[in-house]
Parts: sequence; C-alpha cells; structure tokens
Amino acid sequence: MLTHDHRLRLFDQYDPQISRFFDEMFNLDGMVREHYRTLLSRFNNLNDADLEACKQIVNVFFLNQGITFTVYGADEGVERIFPFDIVPRIVPATEWGLVERGLTQRITALNLFLHDLYHDQKILKDKVVPAELVLGSRHFRREFMGVNPPLGVYIHITGTDIIRDGQGNYMVLEDNLRCPSGVSYMLQNRQVMKRAFPRLFADYRVRPIEDYPQELSRVLQEIAPAGLEDPSIVLLTPGIFNSAYFEHSFLARQMGIELVEGHDLVVSDNKVFARTTRGLKRVDVIYRRVDDDFLDPLVFRSDSMLGVAGLVNAYRAGNVALANAVGTGVADDKVIYSFIPKIIKYYLGEEAILPNVPTYLASEKADLRYILDNLDKLVVKAANESGGYGMLVGPHSTAEQREEFARKVVAEPRNYIAQPTIALSRHPAFASDNSFIGCHIDLRPYVLYGKKVSIVPGGLTRVALKPGSLVVNSSQGGGSKDTWVLYD
Amino acid sequence: MLSRAAESLFWMSRYIERAENTARFLDVNFHLLLDLDKIAEVDNGNYWEPLIRVTDDQERFLALHSEFNAQTVSDFLVFNRANPNSILSCIAIARENARSVIETIASEMWEQINWLYHFLNGANREVLQRDPYNFYREIKNASHLFQGITDATFSRNEGWDFVQAGRYLERADNTSRLVDVKYHLLMQAHNASPEPIDNIQWMAVLKSCSALEAFRKVYLSRIEPQTVVQYLVLDREFPRGIYFCVMMLQESLWQISGSRRRAYTNNADRLVGKLEAELNYTSIEDIFQVGLHTWLEDLQKKLIRIGEQVYQTYFAYHAPANPDTLVAGRVSNPVYDGVGAGRSVRAVWSEIERRQQQQQQQ
Repeated sequence: MLTHDHRLRLFDQYDPQISRFFDEMFNLDGMVREHYRTLLSRFNNLNDADLEACKQIVNVFFLNQGITFTVYGADEGVERIFPFDIVPRIVPATEWGLVERGLTQRITALNLFLHDLYHDQKILKDKVVPAELVLGSRHFRREFMGVNPPLGVYIHITGTDIIRDGQGNYMVLEDNLRCPSGVSYMLQNRQVMKRAFPRLFADYRVRPIEDYPQELSRVLQEIAPAGLEDPSIVLLTPGIFNSAYFEHSFLARQMGIELVEGHDLVVSDNKVFARTTRGLKRVDVIYRRVDDDFLDPLVFRSDSMLGVAGLVNAYRAGNVALANAVGTGVADDKVIYSFIPKIIKYYLGEEAILPNVPTYLASEKADLRYILDNLDKLVVKAANESGGYGMLVGPHSTAEQREEFARKVVAEPRNYIAQPTIALSRHPAFASDNSFIGCHIDLRPYVLYGKKVSIVPGGLTRVALKPGSLVVNSSQGGGSKDTWVLYD
Repeated sequence: MLSRAAESLFWMSRYIERAENTARFLDVNFHLLLDLDKIAEVDNGNYWEPLIRVTDDQERFLALHSEFNAQTVSDFLVFNRANPNSILSCIAIARENARSVIETIASEMWEQINWLYHFLNGANREVLQRDPYNFYREIKNASHLFQGITDATFSRNEGWDFVQAGRYLERADNTSRLVDVKYHLLMQAHNASPEPIDNIQWMAVLKSCSALEAFRKVYLSRIEPQTVVQYLVLDREFPRGIYFCVMMLQESLWQISGSRRRAYTNNADRLVGKLEAELNYTSIEDIFQVGLHTWLEDLQKKLIRIGEQVYQTYFAYHAPANPDTLVAGRVSNPVYDGVGAGRSVRAVWSEIERRQQQQQQQ
C-alpha cells in the first residue's frame, strides 16, 4: 500500500533476527513489545535532521564535560568519548522486581560468606566450598582474619553484571565486589537523554536514579567508626591517568567530599590524616577506588605509588573505615562464582533467584577435558582478571589463540574457568549511517549496602557496538545507553 | 584545603596566564615586524630570536631548528609539545592540573579549559601564518573567559587565593620578560636605523599588555621609553603592570596566611612584603641607573624565590621524604634552577605512576 509518506521509517529496516537472539524490543513474532511501543513510534517520526541534532547534543555534552577515556598504550593526546547510544533500554517494573530481589539475596549471601571466610570459616569446614580454592586465591587476605568491619559489612558497593540469555532469562555473569566502576555513566547517560529527548520522558514513567550519590554518601556515613556524628569522608583515587578518574571526581563533587590521592594521606599513630595547607586533618572514612594490592606498600605491593603506608594498620585498629573492605576480591573470583548458588543455599536456605551462567572449572579433571575439547564453543576467562582482558571468546577466536589458551589453561588450571558462549540479548542501537542495528547488551546495576541493601532503579547498560561482538567492556570497543526502569 | 589541590590550582592558574602571555608576545611581534619592515631593512631572525631567549628555551629550540624565523619560532612557542612552555604544553598541563582538582572547581571552568585544549590540539598549524591575529585573539579571549568564569563561580576561599597568587606571580614575571625583550629589541632597531624610532613600536609594546589605551589616559601622547617602562613596571593601577601584580600577589598570600601588614608569619609573606615595599619606593630613574635589563633580571629572581617559598610553606608537605622514592616516584615539586633566569615548571607524573594508575579497574 502506498502512503503519502514515501520516506522509509527508521525501524522499517531493522532486523531483530529473532530466530537467533532475544531482542529486547521485538518479540518472537517480530512485533514490538508493549513497553517499547511509544518509543518506536517516536523514533519512527524522527527525520535525519532530528537525529543529527540529537547526536550533536550528545557529542558536545560528553566532550565538553571531558567524559573521555584514554586508550591505553596509545599516543599522548588520544582521548575518545565513551560511545553513547541514544536508544534507551526499557525495563518493566516486574522484571526489575525480579532483578532487585535476586541481587539483594545474592549480596546478602556474599556478605555473609565474606564474614564467615574472615572469621570461623564454617562453610569451608562443612566442605560446601573447597578450602583450597579460597585459601589459594590471590585475593584472600589472611591479614584480615578476625577483623570486624563496621556493621559487619564488607561489600558496600557492588556492580553486578547481569545478562539475558536466548530466552530472555536474567542471569548473573559476574559479581564485581572490589571497586566496580561505571556508575557515573549511568548518571550522565540519564542527564544527556533528558536533554536530547525531553518529550520522550513525558511519555514514560521512568524511575529516577539521580539520588545515587546521596545514597552512597549515606552508606559511607553509616560505616564511620562508631560514635562519629559528622565523619570526614574522602574518595581515594589512583589519579588522573586512571580511566575512571572522571567518575571519581564526579562522585566526590556530587557527594561534596574531598578527592584524594595516596600522596595526600599520611598515617600517624594508626590514624589517617590528609595533608592540607594548614597541616594535618583527620580522615574517618575512605571510599577507595584503589585495588587492595596497591593500598598500603607496607602490607601489600611494596612498589605501590598509589597507596598510603600504614593504612592497613589504621583500618585494623578501627580508626578508619574502608569501602569496600579489604579482601572482598576472594568472593568475586570467577572460580568461587560457580559456587554462589550453593553459598546462597548455605547461608539463607533459599534457591538463587537469579541463576548463574553454567561454569566449568579447569581445576576439575572432567571439566578441564571438556574445556580443552570445546575451546571453539566456550568463553574462557582468567579467574582474576577483569575489564574484558585475559579472555577467549571461542567462536570468534583463531586457531592460534585457542592453542595459546589451551597452554595457559593446562599450565594454571586454578586460574581458568569456561562458560558456554551465551547469545546475549540484543537491543537496537543507532548506527553511524542513521540506521538501527541489533547489538548485544548487558546490565550493571549498582547495589549499596550499609545498614541495609538498596539498589538504585537502573544501572549501566553496556552495548557491544562492534557488529556481532559479544564484549561490552569500554576497553574493548563497547559503549553504553540509558536504562529506564519503569514504575508499576 | 589539601596541599595537592592548592598546588594544582596555583599551577593551573600560572600555566593559563603563561599561555596567554606567550600569545601576546607572538601576536605583537608579528605586528611589530609588519610595521618595522616599512622603516628599515630588518633581518627577521634578530627579531624572533629574543622571543626564545626571553623564555629561556634556546637549547631546546636549537635542538629542533637551526634558524630563527617567524615559522620556526612561532611553531615552537605554540604547538611544540617538547617545549614545556609552548602554549599547547601550558594548556595541556593546566588542564591536567584542573583535572586533578576537578571536583573543587566549577564544571564551567573545567569545560572552558577543556575546550581550549581541544581547540589547540585540533588546530591546523598553518593558522600561525595564515591568520595569526584571530588565532592569538582566540587564545587570549579563552584565557579571559576562563578568568571571568573563575571570578563568577569560585567561592572566595583559600583555593581562590591560590588561583590569584598563581596568576599574579606569573603575570609579574611575564610582564618583566616582555618589557625586557621589547626594550632591547627596540633599542637594537634604534641603533641600526638612521631613522628615530617612532611611536609605533612603543605602542606595540603597550598593546601587547593591552595597555595602550590606559597608558594614553595617563600620559596622553607622550610615548617614550621612560614613560612606557614607568607605566608597565611601576604603575599602581594598571592590572598587567608589575607593581600592581606584586600588590595583588601580596594581598592573596596574606589572605592565605592571615597575616596582617608588617607582621609576616612565613617566608613567602616576608619576601613578597619586601618586594612590594621596594617597588613602592623605586623610581624610574633608579631602574635606569642600574640598567633596565639587570634590574628586571634581579626582579625575576625575587619572584622565583617567592614561588619557592609558597611551595615550601604550603605544598611541600607531600614531597617524598626519601630521596630514593624521589627518583622512582612522582617528581611533584616545581623545579627551580636557582639562577633566576629560568621559568619555574611544574613537573609531571612519572611513567611508573602513570602505569599503576591505569591498572586499577573493575
């Protein structure tokens, strides 16, 4: 049928490939899902000029704010904008409810697990988790046995990576319990979307996320050493060359706290002080974005130039609180990950609400055989790496890469796991030629834990913008988009 | 406030001021030459070489170029990243300092300096020959806008005082260098040319400090070497004049320490008070008696010493105590050459620290 509008509408050419992937926007019949209906018609009514204008707003916003990241190893002066995709991801209230319950359960259990590991180690004695896996983990800090962090909380800030499989089931891919980053992108993405598509917000009832910094600030106050009314809180950053430096400064500003580097702090008499133009000033709580290894050259890596000598002793003496606590990395080890459903069962007596991705441990004989025989189908990951480094995506790998990984896995089985290649759900993304293409996405919500667990409704949806790619990390060519959690 | 934050604000401010003054130098030199060409046979090199001399960068320059001319000198002073005093380097370092205190400054300040950096980094180098006037004006305006934004958004706290101190210390130093080089340049031209120097060249000197109009209000049309120097060095009201800058510097430093007049509490206060008093009671005749160049050189040394004392008093806290860590670590102290001729430079981060900073991520 010929209409008076000859122009092809933007989504007419979009191919969700529903036979192969779960598409967030279109159902199995190729029809738009209910909660995306308004979005679809809005975008279909945009012309090329509108879209250019939107892209312009977005680019100027990010470049002017300096929200760029430096490509490691590249020449000086190479800074890129973290790619932002203008099509928002929409999560209906019921789906979010599931994610929220699942994460609360998981974080509660993981915190009990950490407390147990650093105290009685009942779970090891009951042989639910093999002791050698925990005690042999690079991130297990025996220096912290018996130390009681304020409120008994170890993981104040978590950024769990969640994916949806081919059937649209939400699953946990990784628990990031150390210093998860990206929350500033969540906040900035929302801000830029409001600028670029103000009318679209009027069509949807999107839950706000803007109070994240206040929530984080509340948690940091709650964990201050006992009896402190008005604790002095700082954010410890590795420094301006860290790819997340923008985020550190952004959060410090939003919370109204001082941003410090290791050089700015000094420990005297087991108390932590900041060096100011008027002498030393006491510090009570440190939101640290420096890894355990670099935190204190006297206890961990002695060549660290980012840490504070004596910080660990001050912490053990209870004179300063750290968020997150030291030693949480043992619980987000990718080998330990495979035991988390059992860990939830052990501490809470419940089944995991959000399932794991099936995981093969190279340290198990049968699993190792399977991994080596199926390298071309599996995703192999180093247990301790993050950021998409040290990873083999079997179906996209070359024979040499597979050989190299086979050698590594055999040499260090404890350090490797493998998972089936999950066809991550896809979402339309806006391509440079003004068309829409399906890109794989994941979701990183941010979980805060002080006196209780709380989750800001939203998160960072990361997008694998390279066509066909499954890797969403910014260091590997990923981008992000705004995430709208709807009211009931 | 944190010593490091104070130091970063101080250097951020200094480097922006330095970049602006270099743009002024270059802009005026370019126009001066256009004018001079009309009155005498001028060997260009003689008029470009002093720009390198004044910034104490001869060695670095000669390692890269064999000839002083408009193209080599302006490229070296504007875009060369190997020259830490080039405009691009200054803005890059100012931007890194701003970035390291990004949570204490207004986002508009950051956006402005970030914009200037991207403007310079992305500029086509041919612009220096094609349209120098607009290019330098853009840089000057960007610096003014930055200062205006700072003025309109920065809380009047200690950080503000460090920004002011950095700006006026740098400006006093830069104006002294500008007066020095122009004076010699013009005297040289004067000796070489049978014609008397006319007002045009002295006007150019004043223009480089945006001082021409203000000068005329004071001295009407009597543009002579003595009055120009008197104005740029000793005037109490002109905001790019040396004496004015020293007064403002004193004001900021005393604000920081809480000292009152004549009751200094640290060496920075003492030295700036001493210099202010000296300038207060100096006449133009005193200066010419010593010799302008010698007098200005001595002034620059004094300014450098004030900078050293600001560092010792407020920033040195975080200097690594152990000399071994100093070698491997971050050289965060400004490097003073002690001779007085060099310009203080804020050193940057070591390679090891850079790498360690990059490693942290999840």
